[in-house]
Amino acid sequence: MSEALLQVRGLTRDYRLIKKREGVSGGLIDLVRPRRELLRAVDDVSFEIPAGEMVGYIGANGAGKSTTLKMLTGILTPTSGEVTVGGLVPWRERVQYTRHIGAVFGQRTQLWWDLAVVESFRLLQKIYEVDEQTYQRQMGIFDDLLDIGDYLHQPVRKLSLGQRMRCDLAAALLHRPRVLFLDEPTIGLDVVAKENVRQFLREIRERDGVTIILTTHDIGDIEQLCRRVIIIDKGRVHFDGELEDLRRRVGQKVRLTVDLRDTATSAELAATTGDLPVRWTSGEGRRHQAEFNRSEVPGAEVIKRLVNGAHVLDLSLAEQPIEEVVRDIYRQQGRPTP
Amino acid sequence: MSETTTSRLAPWRRSAAGSVGLYSYFVRLAFLKFLAYRLRYYTGVVSYTIFVTGHYYIYSALFASAVADSPDGLVGGLTLPEMITYVAVSWIGRSFYFNNIARELSRQIQEGEIAVLLIKPFHVQTVMMFEAIGESGFRLLMFTLPIMVVIVPLFRIQGPPEPMLYLWTFVSFCLALVIYSQFNFLLGCLAFGMKNIQGVMRAKMVSMDFLTGVVVPFTFFPLWFQHLMDWLPFQYVSYIPVTIYLGKHQGPDLARVLLVQLAWSVALFVAGRFVWQRSVRNVIVQGG
Repeated sequence: MSEALLQVRGLTRDYRLIKKREGVSGGLIDLVRPRRELLRAVDDVSFEIPAGEMVGYIGANGAGKSTTLKMLTGILTPTSGEVTVGGLVPWRERVQYTRHIGAVFGQRTQLWWDLAVVESFRLLQKIYEVDEQTYQRQMGIFDDLLDIGDYLHQPVRKLSLGQRMRCDLAAALLHRPRVLFLDEPTIGLDVVAKENVRQFLREIRERDGVTIILTTHDIGDIEQLCRRVIIIDKGRVHFDGELEDLRRRVGQKVRLTVDLRDTATSAELAATTGDLPVRWTSGEGRRHQAEFNRSEVPGAEVIKRLVNGAHVLDLSLAEQPIEEVVRDIYRQQGRPTP
Repeated sequence: MSETTTSRLAPWRRSAAGSVGLYSYFVRLAFLKFLAYRLRYYTGVVSYTIFVTGHYYIYSALFASAVADSPDGLVGGLTLPEMITYVAVSWIGRSFYFNNIARELSRQIQEGEIAVLLIKPFHVQTVMMFEAIGESGFRLLMFTLPIMVVIVPLFRIQGPPEPMLYLWTFVSFCLALVIYSQFNFLLGCLAFGMKNIQGVMRAKMVSMDFLTGVVVPFTFFPLWFQHLMDWLPFQYVSYIPVTIYLGKHQGPDLARVLLVQLAWSVALFVAGRFVWQRSVRNVIVQGG
C-alpha cells in the first residue's frame, strides 16, 4: 500500500481570547489590562486518509471540526503539527494546493451572488484552467445527477437553498479535485434535497475516486455516506474507525415518544413493556418517553407490546442525535485517549 | 485512472495566457455586476452636479472678495476659471477612480466570507485590483461620461492648454485608480487585526477627499502642509491629475510627476501583497 493521500500529525491550534470582566469598572480595567486566555481548539490531532475514502469528521458545536477543516484547506495556520496532502503543505503552498481541492462551507456560497449561475461556472473554469472539453463533460454529469441545467441562467440570489447547495457542490467539483471538503453539506435542506445531495456524493466518489471529508450534525449523512468516522470532542480525537465499530460500542439507541388517549403513569407503561430492556425516562399524563437499544430489542417488539397494553394514539421513534453519540463515546472512555 | 490513485498532487502553475484570461474575466464580471445596479448611478449624476454647483458659488464668492487684495487676480495660485475647472475635473475624476474595496474587503474578512476566496488558487489582491478596474470601466461609461455631458457645458469648463494633456490626464487618473484601490486594500486588511473597523472606515470617508485635494486645492493650505503631502501618496489620487489637466506640470516636470505616481502605484501594490500575506498567515477567519 502506498502512503496515504492526506496525513495529519499532532495538529494543534490555539486561539487567544480576551476574557471580559464584569460591570463598568471591569470594562475600564479591560481597556488597560485585558485578560488574555488561551483556548486550545484543536489538540494534537493525528490521522491518515488514503485516496478515495469518504470520512465523516464529527463532533458537537465548538468541538474543533471547523478549525481542523480550515487548517486542512489552508485557510488557517496551525500553532503546531503537520499536514501534508499529496506532498503539499496546505497553508504554505496555498495557490498550488487549492488547485487540487474543492470545498463547500455549509451556508456560505462560493457562487457570485448577483450573477447568473453559469457566469460563476465560467469563472471557475478560468480559475482552475479547465479545458472546454472537460468543462462540457463535467457540466453534463452535474446536469444528469443534480438537475442544475434548469436554473443555470438564473441569478444565484433567486435560488432556493436546495438549488443553491446543488450548484455549490457542482462548483466545488468542476475542476475534478482530488480532495473534497464539505462542512455541513445538508444543513437546512429538506428530506428530498438531502437525499439528492447524498446520492450525488456517492456517485461522484465512485466515478472520480475523489477523497471526501465531511463534517455534519446529521447522523443520516454519516450512515449513508461514510464507512469511517472520526469523532472529535474538545479538540481531541475520541474515535477513529469504522462506523460499524462505533455502533457496536454505543449501540443503537432509539428514543420513543408515545401519546396516549388517557393519562397514565410511567409505572403503568413500564408494566406493558414488562421484561424488555426499555427505560421509561420521563413523562406524565398523556405523553411519555422511553429509550431502548435496537441491538438489544427490535423496535417492532416494543411497539407491539405497547399497543397491546395501552391505548396509543400516536408514537414516534427518533435516532440518537450525534451529540449524544459523541457524549456516550466520551463517557465510555472516561478520559480522552492519549 | 492512475491519476486518482497516486498519493501525490501534480504540480500546477497557471499559464500566462490563463492569467490574462482569468483576470480579464474578473474585469468583465465586475462590469456586469455593476451594470445590474446601474440605476443607482443615475442619482449619482444629480448629486455630483450639486457638489460642483455648490463649489462654483463658494469659489465665485471667495474670488469676488479676495481678488481685490491680489493684484494678479490669483487666489491660491489659481484664476477663477481655473478654480472652477479644478473643482469640475476633480469631481469628474472621482466619479471614475472611486471604489469601496476597503469596506467590501473588511466586511468579507469580518463575516468570514474571505474563506471562500482563500480556497481558490489565485491572489485575492490581484483579483480585487482587476475587479476595481472593471468597476471603473463601468463607471467611466455609465457615470463619468454622463456627468461630463452635464457639467462641462453647464459651467463652461475649459479644455487643457494643450490637447495632449487630455491623454496625460487620463493616464494620470488611471494610475490614481491603482493608488486609490491599493490604499483601500491596505485599509481593508486592518480588519484582520481589528474587531470593529467601522470607525476607521468613517474616518477614511471623511478625510480621503480632503487629503487627495478634491475638496480644496493644496495651494490653499500652509506651506508645511504642502511639504508634508509631498511625501504621501494622497495627492497623486486627485490633486496631481487635475493640475496636469490645468497645465501646471510642463515637460520634465510632467514626466517626473507621472513617474512618481507610477512608483507609488507599484509601492502600494507591493505593500499590499506583503501585508496580505502576513495577515493571512495569522488569520482567524471569524465564524464557521
